[in-house]
Amino acid sequence: MTTPDMIHRSEAAVSVELQTPEMTLNLGPQHPSTHGVLRLIAKVDGERVRSVEPVIGYMHRGYEKISEVRTYLQITALVNRIDWVSGFANEVPFILGVERLAGIEAPPRAQYIRMILTELARISSHLVFISSYPLELGATTPLMHALREREYILELIEEVTGGRFHPNFNRVGGVKPNYGGGSTTKKQSMDLPSGFFQRTSEAMDRMDTIANDIDQLVTGNELIKMRTVDVGVIPADKALEYGLTGPNLRASGVAYDLRKVENYLPYDDIDFDVAVREGGDCYDRYMVRLDEIRQSARIVRQAIEKIPTGPLQAKVPRVLKVPRGQVYSRAENPKGEFGYYIVSEGGKMPYRLKIRSTSFSNLTILPWVLKDQLIPDLVAIMGSLDFVLGDVDR
Amino acid sequence: MSDQPESTETEASEPSELEAYASDLTERLGAEGYTVELDTVRIDVSRDKWVETINTAREELELFSWLSAIDWSKEVEVGDPVADVDDLDERFEVLCRLSSVKNADGAIFVVTLPKDDATIPSLTSTIAGAEWHEREAHEMFGIDFDGNMNLTPLYLPDDFIGNPLLKSYPLIAREVKPWPGDVDVEPMPVAEEEAGSDS
Repeated sequence: MTTPDMIHRSEAAVSVELQTPEMTLNLGPQHPSTHGVLRLIAKVDGERVRSVEPVIGYMHRGYEKISEVRTYLQITALVNRIDWVSGFANEVPFILGVERLAGIEAPPRAQYIRMILTELARISSHLVFISSYPLELGATTPLMHALREREYILELIEEVTGGRFHPNFNRVGGVKPNYGGGSTTKKQSMDLPSGFFQRTSEAMDRMDTIANDIDQLVTGNELIKMRTVDVGVIPADKALEYGLTGPNLRASGVAYDLRKVENYLPYDDIDFDVAVREGGDCYDRYMVRLDEIRQSARIVRQAIEKIPTGPLQAKVPRVLKVPRGQVYSRAENPKGEFGYYIVSEGGKMPYRLKIRSTSFSNLTILPWVLKDQLIPDLVAIMGSLDFVLGDVDR
Repeated sequence: MSDQPESTETEASEPSELEAYASDLTERLGAEGYTVELDTVRIDVSRDKWVETINTAREELELFSWLSAIDWSKEVEVGDPVADVDDLDERFEVLCRLSSVKNADGAIFVVTLPKDDATIPSLTSTIAGAEWHEREAHEMFGIDFDGNMNLTPLYLPDDFIGNPLLKSYPLIAREVKPWPGDVDVEPMPVAEEEAGSDS
């Protein structure tokens, strides 16, 4: 954490006491580095930011209210639009919650497919971060590399689900049977497209390559390090107080990963490491995400090896009525803990659906972490938190 | 669910590990009671001890996850009403979820507020991250958080009138134009398992 009395190089030349009037600097809502429509009202004193007031809500779509008039199946189509960079990962905790309420369990093959697609969504989300973050710091090359590789992931997701960003692939009791399949008989075609595992495996090799390339391009880069090391340090206790989860929390030295902690999807069968860093600065938040790309590729490879055969869908009544009950269902989204508190009163629609979106909680720390930072660091710190405004505003 | 006999589903099986955890936590915190339903632990807290209980609980459940509210209302403009409307005790429930970062432990702390006096002490003096969550609950439900100095609208425009997540608040778009899903989609067949279903 940079304290006000530490003098930065840009200020060192001014040795006499100069009074600068406090100014208000407005950033956004349309600003390239705000990942959508976030507005910041900053009070600046020279090069220092004295206080920041984020203004959100430009994209508030009222999903919690709409969900009260939609059936559970219709809500699946809504929730993957919350964080559109990793649409599939948002569906999973919702559908797991509804399954828990209804007492239905998806067959093992469907669980594995969910796990594979969640990890693909994680890689794709982290590739967006890896491409956009160096861009915000002034490096344009990684953008081209990472976004090119993301296309391979999006193509795989599209091949299975039919949608690049909004899969809407989960069903209560399993996943949507795929009728395309590249096969002619209907019985065979109710599964993943033929050759999918082969192509996924090849794509995972590409992901290892791009992670190494990005390592060469960005990780050791002096300029990137000057902009990120020891900048925007978030200590673990502050991260917990503000409800940070995911890579932002793990960069502060807390090895909290719901894939290890919570009992959902067959992550127990898979051998992988939780990426943790101790520093809590922008550089560590970047490094955690880079490490997670490699770990996700590892998970997908093992899942392809271990995936059992069997049906994709459990027996579910055609008209799904969820019994009365309340459940909190959460999962590790690429950005952190994503949860749904579902209150069912026994109808076809939930009585109340609370969406615990990750970026909203991750963004609450912004006024604290930006206080007394330099203006050029403002964008560096904001970008390192990796938020999506759709996920903030819901 | 507190307007129902306490956790009937879980009583069928033997007291689970989770229930032992919930009862132990309730006792240590001096809370009023607990329910365990579908792996979700809910601990009832009285309004006077809200801040104190949350602060004590955070010594072991370090992560402040979220805070929100539920409007239990007889007058329902949108969606399905509650199952037993006549027995319903109209109230707000404010929920706060805390999680451990070492294991899967976690609990949702619930405080019940009467509709005519929806005021609760704010958590912001010790949990700064609660500010936005409280602002959201304030604008969406009209709940006042005593001690939160910045209860300005978070999502809604400054001149917005009403609390949209109240059950009595209509969905204006739906009033003007009915949801086409109701008419376009052919009615779902009633499966054998769902005998007695009214749709």
